[in-house]
Amino acid sequence: MSMVTGNSYLDSLLQGQPQLPPSPLAWFNQLRASAVDRVGTLKLPTTRDEDWRFTDITPLAKLSFQPARVISTLQATDLERFYLDEAAIRLVFVDGTYMPQFSTQQGKAGESGLIITDLSAAVPRHAAAIEPHLGRHAGFEDNLFAALNTAFLQHGAVIVAPRNAAVEAPVHVLSVSTQPGAASHPRCLLIAESGSAVTIVEDYVTLGQEGEEAYVTNAVTEIVLKDNAQVDHVRIQRDSTQAFHIGNCAVSLARASRYRSVSVALGARISRYDLNVLLADEGAECTVDGLALISGRQLADTHTCIDHARPSCTSRQAHKCIVDGAGHAVFNGKIVVRAGAQHTDSAQSNRSLLLNAKARVDTKPQLEIFADDVKCAHGATVGQLDNEELFYLESRGLSGLAARNLLTYAFGAEIIDRIPVASLKHRLEQTVLEQTKRN
Amino acid sequence: MSAVLQNLVNQPYKHGFVTEIESDIAPKGLNEDIIQLISTKKDEPAWLLEFRLKAYEQWLKMEEPKWPNVKYPKIDFQAISYYAAPKPKKKLSSMDEVDPELLRTFEKLGVPMHERAALAGVAVDVIFDSVSVATTYKQKLAEVGIIFCSISEAVHKYPDLVKQYLGTVVPIGDNYYAALNSAVFTDGTFCFIPKGVKCPMDLSTYFRINTEESGQFERTLIIGEEGSSVSYLEGCTAPKFDTNQLHAAVVELVALDNADIKYSTVQNWYAGDENGLGGIYNFVTKRGLAKGVNSRISWTQVETGSAITWKYPSCILQGENSVGEFYSVAVTNHYQQADTGTKMVHIGKNTRSTIVSKGISAGHSNNSYRGLVRIAPTAAGARNYSQCDSMLIGDQCGAHTFPYIQVRNQQAKVEHEASTSKIGEDQLFYFAQRGIGNEEAVSMIINGFCKDVFQQLPMEFAVEATKLLEFKLEGSVG
Repeated sequence: MSMVTGNSYLDSLLQGQPQLPPSPLAWFNQLRASAVDRVGTLKLPTTRDEDWRFTDITPLAKLSFQPARVISTLQATDLERFYLDEAAIRLVFVDGTYMPQFSTQQGKAGESGLIITDLSAAVPRHAAAIEPHLGRHAGFEDNLFAALNTAFLQHGAVIVAPRNAAVEAPVHVLSVSTQPGAASHPRCLLIAESGSAVTIVEDYVTLGQEGEEAYVTNAVTEIVLKDNAQVDHVRIQRDSTQAFHIGNCAVSLARASRYRSVSVALGARISRYDLNVLLADEGAECTVDGLALISGRQLADTHTCIDHARPSCTSRQAHKCIVDGAGHAVFNGKIVVRAGAQHTDSAQSNRSLLLNAKARVDTKPQLEIFADDVKCAHGATVGQLDNEELFYLESRGLSGLAARNLLTYAFGAEIIDRIPVASLKHRLEQTVLEQTKRN
Repeated sequence: MSAVLQNLVNQPYKHGFVTEIESDIAPKGLNEDIIQLISTKKDEPAWLLEFRLKAYEQWLKMEEPKWPNVKYPKIDFQAISYYAAPKPKKKLSSMDEVDPELLRTFEKLGVPMHERAALAGVAVDVIFDSVSVATTYKQKLAEVGIIFCSISEAVHKYPDLVKQYLGTVVPIGDNYYAALNSAVFTDGTFCFIPKGVKCPMDLSTYFRINTEESGQFERTLIIGEEGSSVSYLEGCTAPKFDTNQLHAAVVELVALDNADIKYSTVQNWYAGDENGLGGIYNFVTKRGLAKGVNSRISWTQVETGSAITWKYPSCILQGENSVGEFYSVAVTNHYQQADTGTKMVHIGKNTRSTIVSKGISAGHSNNSYRGLVRIAPTAAGARNYSQCDSMLIGDQCGAHTFPYIQVRNQQAKVEHEASTSKIGEDQLFYFAQRGIGNEEAVSMIINGFCKDVFQQLPMEFAVEATKLLEFKLEGSVG
């Protein structure tokens, strides 16, 4: 892996950055500037870096990407198929740029204090709420992609759920990619004040046709839960199978808060999702589930880190991979129990299903424990469909193909079932069914 | 209770004494001249010198591995003496002629060699600071055609066999310490089990590091021909020193068709004092090649000693239906660090492997399991089951798990499980209810925790291992 990762490539990725309009706020400009500095010192990760050992991103480095242009020819009808029935609030970003004409905020009335807006509008108006959190959780000190995203800070979803408010309808953050050869940097910041409850759906889609030129989506999401807050987070990545998708998500949980997340990776030629959950105070709970469903020559890499920093926190994780064709799934699930984090209760399972002789899985469930009074368990399995189960279905009159499809579907449905938005769940179930039928 | 427990946990190392035997020590440092010197001293053939020099050349180009989860000051490889042999006296024809001081050393260790050999039927090839001094039961083994001798003897007597297999399982440039070992290894064990022979007794070698500041570089090569079977035991103790001693051994096993090799280790080298001062650095490369069909390689280890353990006994499952096993108990206390585990590389069809790893950490120690299960595209029907459990005793220690699972064949089935636990108050209460004191209860719980592994050990070792664990940890819950 002696890929040239010289900084000239990174310089090219930074082009257009200096043209960003400066913010009236000094700290915001400072944040961008320090991110640009970091980009200057970091290198593109290679397979010699432990965190990228199985994910070779040299194909990404071979392409040159331009910053996305703002286009105005898009019609509402182009996007309607992505809308969710339940979502009264929708923020639409096209190639990273906020599109107020497609966004709606019907739920705003009656929920006083609820802030849902674009970052460029939110920063001057709600600086006091945003400054302590923006760029503070998704660290970019040694994360090149987070640094790049932060360097390009301009648009993004900002959601602040006020104290004790239960936001009933899910908030739909729709990121649409339309331009081949472009790099976009979607950003999302969610602050759930104490006692609030909110559901957010991050949805990455493309308008492009299969087989088109590649593009890069480099997303960063920060989620902050104050005491007793509750956040349901759904993340669907259905980029084009030519695209590169890099996602970083950092979640911080205060006392007795609850975070539940389901992430589904369906698209992209190479996708990488880093989810870091910090259980920062006692009694916090998180459930982190994931599904990667890939085929062809796709690579889906999920890295999660659940950090039990304080005592009496609970974490649950189930991650599944269904790999067909010459697909390659990577999972690295780290659970850290810090010194003093007694009464930690943590369980993790990672199951992978290989459907093709060329399919490949690399998994590493990892435990790092520095406290003795804890309950930690993890399990990982890799295998194919069970012959006995297939036989059972066939003995009931299903064809071999139908039996395989049914079992594959059921394998993935266990994760999809946990999505709290009915229409989205239904849509994804259809996707999984189609995917299995296609084979 | 905790005072008693503290006492037990902090028992000083029993085997810390230095035997004064005149040693023939090479000057400190490592260069081509030293390698020449070792080779000349040992009267080696030219091909072996070439092997050493090639390894040295590779070693110079390599870097110390940084990935293990251990911390230690940088080793000055030029401050180590690479050759120390007890001064040659006269050729020995029987055990009676062995240096009585040497024999007394073994007695202090509780290994009365001759008795043990006679009573337990164990042939002991004694390694005392790099050169074989006495070998027993050789004749009995020779009757069935088994070769069991020091590797330097084998180089002279069976050069073709050594040349054929040496460095085939662990290539000279395999890793930093394997390259170093290949360049400077002074002695070790060679064992050859011919076709169809079941070894009539367990083979055993006792290692002992003696001369202060002399690194020990053992080289072990065991070859099981078609249909043969052997069980090999390795046990270690070392005297107490304050300067860290480097031990970088290489063990190679080759199992041909239907051969069965079982390799058991009990390691209780000096682990440093309760402040983490001193102790052995144990950087070992152990690998078995299950080359033939239906061959089987089984590693069992009980790791209780060393300041730092860095060791991954591995199996390359090349033959169809070959089997690899790894059973391990690793105990760390005070400031010990262990990064140990295994690699199971499945290449042949229907290969199977089992990994059972039990880690116990106490004091300020850190215990890591690092394992790799790789299923190559050719390994259809491969099967792996891994289980690694950790037990933490006290809140200052750490337990870590790094299992790598890489699957390239859809017909393979891989399962991995890990858990972490402590000795619960309720468990101790249950024992107390039945009139069993805390100390005994803890000992029983730990023995229960390690049972799956101890069952794999040969009888004498199982007893020794149980005692070792008691001595190391008994009652450390308080």
